[in-house]
Amino acid sequence: MLFLEGIEYRIWDPRRSKLGAMVLKKFEVPLRKDSRVLYLGAATGTTVSHVSDIVSEGAVYAVEFSARSMRNLLGLADRRKNIHPILADAGRPERYAHLVGAVDVIFQDVAQPNQAEIAAKNAARFLKKEGFLLLSLKARSIDTTASPKQVFKNEVKKLEEAFEPKFEILKARELAPFHEDHLGLIAKIRVSENEKI
Amino acid sequence: MKVEGWFGTLELSPEGAVLASVLYSKDPRELTERSFTLSETKSFLPPPGFDLRKASLEYGIFESGAEYDSLLHELTLRKAKLQVSKALSVDQRIIQAVEALDDINETTNSLSERLFEWYGNHFPETGLTGEPLASFVAKYGNRANVSPFDPLYEKAKVSIGAELPEADEALIKAFAESLCSLYARRKQLEIYIEKSLDTRAPNLTLLAGPMLGARLLSLAGGLSQLARFPSSTIQVIGANKALFKHLRARAPSPKHGIIFSHPLINTAPWWLRGKIARALAAKLSLAARVDLYSGEKRPELLEKLEAKVGRIKALYPTPPLKKSGIKAEKSRSSEKRKGPGKGNGKAKGKSWGQEKAKNKSCREGKFSSDTKPATNSMKGRGC
Repeated sequence: MLFLEGIEYRIWDPRRSKLGAMVLKKFEVPLRKDSRVLYLGAATGTTVSHVSDIVSEGAVYAVEFSARSMRNLLGLADRRKNIHPILADAGRPERYAHLVGAVDVIFQDVAQPNQAEIAAKNAARFLKKEGFLLLSLKARSIDTTASPKQVFKNEVKKLEEAFEPKFEILKARELAPFHEDHLGLIAKIRVSENEKI
Repeated sequence: MKVEGWFGTLELSPEGAVLASVLYSKDPRELTERSFTLSETKSFLPPPGFDLRKASLEYGIFESGAEYDSLLHELTLRKAKLQVSKALSVDQRIIQAVEALDDINETTNSLSERLFEWYGNHFPETGLTGEPLASFVAKYGNRANVSPFDPLYEKAKVSIGAELPEADEALIKAFAESLCSLYARRKQLEIYIEKSLDTRAPNLTLLAGPMLGARLLSLAGGLSQLARFPSSTIQVIGANKALFKHLRARAPSPKHGIIFSHPLINTAPWWLRGKIARALAAKLSLAARVDLYSGEKRPELLEKLEAKVGRIKALYPTPPLKKSGIKAEKSRSSEKRKGPGKGNGKAKGKSWGQEKAKNKSCREGKFSSDTKPATNSMKGRGC
């Protein structure tokens, strides 16, 4: 906490938070006061708390698979009424479909080899048509031997082509020097040609 | 169309408008129980993009968005708390015990070294180290107190060591007492691990011994994860550093990870260790699977393993010849090994990487796989 000229500021460490790094990397983070956010890979809630600050009139659905991390997250959710903690596997959105409903933004930071598929599955079920996907891809959890650049290329292609819905990538930048071998992405659901007409 | 939400069931028109609803009571406890059931059912999921909140507000199920949010908050919090408190499995307990044991081993080692140096100033002739030294110091303190019936009595009388002032004696005695109690904790942990692993994984215990079995389980993150590993993974668990060096650069592949501590391997001559490690890993993975899926004890696994190791030993009684001999050997076995082995090299590496990633996410809180061995007491074994 910092106090400057009577205003209270919270310190947001870009080295601990992918979203924080994205902000510094000049991503236009599409969070508004009343956004409803599905946060996949909430971990112990460092970044979740910042998101919860921003969406003061909205809500964060914080999905985390590890009970150990959820233990810390629960303390946070106890204090912050706009965080809805969900202990579940982000790869199986049908298990929390009855809780979440539609969201404006999906933020995903999971260290799984099928990160792109998880993002697509959740977007298909929850993301509003005009909503955004914010994604942090971790090269090391996809392939430890290939070069990160190659991994990113493949994953972006997967997001654009392989799954339903297909995404339109608005911006992609590596999150170095804050996070090594991570790619930050912002994407939208691509509207297919015949739907446009 | 029927849709299940956390607050009740909605009947939707094809356009997505709410026609009718059957609501649950707004009691958070009841809603939580329903939510557990709903997580398991795969029918009546909300259609893609369906806004539960908006629909329920428009239909007047909730008076305001705030009511919806606060009730949902209470539900999710309650549910997550219940899940967290139920999450601790037997495996987790064993893993905690194994890690506590490793910590204690590390601590007792450095403390007993300190005691050796410290007490050595006063009575260097004891010839004791580790636990016996700790209990000796805790019992007597100053060497003048050594009882005439103790075998070290004569040595204590003529020791060349320096005097031990009273204040120092009190300190060093208390230090030794803490060390003794750590040794006692270690024994207690070992007994606990042996017992609980034998109940949880009798076949693994039979083949690997309780300590190695527990370590495998701990590194895998649980019995169900261990049972899903291919035996080639089990063979090199704990040799992460060597393995990733092998996958990334041209280093030789590790022959064994922590299974090196198995007597079958570490007593075998060097040219058989790789072969025996493979045979052992194969049987260990079978044992883990039998333990997870049936749980009955199968002593024939051990017999088969011993027979296999016997055959290996009979087949290769002497070390392979060096240099010129190796060349001949290579050309002889090249068709056998090169064909599938080399071709799959890349793909194999990849699947292992994925495997590790999955494994890691289960063992939350650990650092990336290649930095992990630093915290692992078994480091270096596999290289």
